[in-house]
Amino acid sequence: MRCWYFSEMAYHPAWEAGLARGTLRVVLPSSNFDPPTAHGLLNRYLDEFALCDEVGLDIMVNEHHSTATCMTVSVPMALAIIARETKRARLLSLGTPIANRPDPVRVAEEMAWLDVLSGGRLEMGLVKGAPYEIQPANSNPATLMRRYWEAHDLILKAMSTHDGPFNWEGEFFHYRSVNIWPKPIQKPAPPVWMTGMSVDTGKLAAERGHVVGTLLSGGTAKPMYDAYRQRARELGWDAGPDRMAFAAVVGVGATREEGLRRADQIADYVRTAPVVAEPFTNPPGYNSIGANVAIMKAGPRAHRIVKDRQGNSIDHRRATVQQFMDTDTVFAGTPDEVFQQIRDFSIRMGGIGHLLFFGQGGHLGHEDATENIKLFGREVAPRLRDLSVEPASAAAE
Amino acid sequence: MARSINIAGVSLELEQRGSGRPLLFLHPGEGLQPQLEWLDLLARHFRVIAPHHPGWSNSALPDWLMTVDDLAYLYLDLAAFEALENAILLGACFGGWIAAEMAIRDTRRFAQLVLADPLGIKVGGFTERDIADMHAISREDYARLAWADPAKGERDLMRLPDTELAGIARGREAFARFGWKPYMHNPRLRHWLHRIDLPTLLLWGEQDGIVSTTYGQAWQAEIRAAQMQVIPHAGHFPHWEQPKDFVDRLVRFVESN
Repeated sequence: MRCWYFSEMAYHPAWEAGLARGTLRVVLPSSNFDPPTAHGLLNRYLDEFALCDEVGLDIMVNEHHSTATCMTVSVPMALAIIARETKRARLLSLGTPIANRPDPVRVAEEMAWLDVLSGGRLEMGLVKGAPYEIQPANSNPATLMRRYWEAHDLILKAMSTHDGPFNWEGEFFHYRSVNIWPKPIQKPAPPVWMTGMSVDTGKLAAERGHVVGTLLSGGTAKPMYDAYRQRARELGWDAGPDRMAFAAVVGVGATREEGLRRADQIADYVRTAPVVAEPFTNPPGYNSIGANVAIMKAGPRAHRIVKDRQGNSIDHRRATVQQFMDTDTVFAGTPDEVFQQIRDFSIRMGGIGHLLFFGQGGHLGHEDATENIKLFGREVAPRLRDLSVEPASAAAE
Repeated sequence: MARSINIAGVSLELEQRGSGRPLLFLHPGEGLQPQLEWLDLLARHFRVIAPHHPGWSNSALPDWLMTVDDLAYLYLDLAAFEALENAILLGACFGGWIAAEMAIRDTRRFAQLVLADPLGIKVGGFTERDIADMHAISREDYARLAWADPAKGERDLMRLPDTELAGIARGREAFARFGWKPYMHNPRLRHWLHRIDLPTLLLWGEQDGIVSTTYGQAWQAEIRAAQMQVIPHAGHFPHWEQPKDFVDRLVRFVESN
């Protein structure tokens, strides 16, 4: 199992204002943002990313817009800095919201440039993006997935075509001469990742052999992984753990209490992330007709509830760290305990090959964040890395 | 009664009621709601032909059909297919936008145009909203803007059957496809409204908070033979909220022009 450290570079000083307003996203005015404070935070967060390289962790970056939860507005901009400050870590963009981007060829150029700069260390997430990203991007949610797949195909063709310009006259994108320079080091393109929470995403990722990632709930993840593996078998290949990724909060400490305390602070990210004004949680067309029928029948307040391993409903906005551990949202404790929890989780999931480690959730101080990274990188990740040799069939119960 | 026809390769579900002069009704973004009083009131005077737009209810929405221009051509084809003569073209809200796009292209089959609280044109500056952002406000705030009496707009979705909920979800998705960006308007439409050569009635709900009566006056200024009437105690959907007043005014206009 590979372990990827991940931080949204939160602007937590505005969280109280956002919670009071009922939304941390889209409509929280930037009067709640102090640039000098953010200057210190951004540089501190980048130092924490750089530390990961020293302790043997890989690195993941994402982006969000108009939000106090995440200051990263551009994955390639952040990864460009991190690529220069690291030597060994693989760099995961998870990712570029390609259906919200007007110019897929620009995405292909930036990703190729990053792959060249980093010496072929890039992994390339092409993501749908969260529902509340629609409004800041003002992209049409009713045609989102059609744009996604057209952009996906165009980006991969642009990265892997080396015999001169090709034209593209699609439904949404139009180019007369696609001929990107530089081209990537990795052939035909850096490994592609997708994200999602549904069985359909699992199937679609399997059809292309991409890595599929999900987050925060084992109950949601398992059916998606199973759908991936089944679809791969139907297509004549076995999907190993290296195709499955899971993002979770991880808190490691010298004692169990210290690990849980760190996880509890990082979990504030999970508690704040779903606090979004209602109109932006389900733009028309973002979810399928069937999912929308279910949402209408459940009523407007049912979102963001997940089931724990005993089937109890947990509201992510108010969960305790123990409840988060019961939904596989958090792994926490001593290095031994965290290793056991993640190993057991992987076995329950049928084998996962990538852990995306939420190691920063705002209020966790720099000293705790760096201790957490060091303990995880030195005491937990090496043992998890050895798990990757287990085939999925052996890991499944 | 509802029937299904095929126009330009698109399977359309449509309601037809009444007899007399033909009236083509184009529904709002919220859908047709043929079970409400307005349709039977209109059908006492006219042969009402009311399609469900592509993507709403059971009408098909092919991938290629992406813009209000497409809907305008589709309904011009429908008018030809139905051999409409001397017909009344009536559009409400989003349907008013479609009707205007038809009327700047070809008015041969129609004798009068009625637009009720239409969306579709841009009047103000870059940072002025002519049309409320219906997708950025809560359902409660939307009801307050769209209805003079918000209680009249309430629908208990949790009690509807799955098929009807699916129709609502499809309609919401289709409304976004056609109207998301630019938001509920065509930046060029205003510059072609001078081509409308039909006697035109603009009917406007006095309390419409989605598009105001001031916006209605901008429409009136661009269409040569347009008059405007404001309906009291009505919001964005006067045909639903004050159906008798709505139909009375429409009939008087039709008879006097």
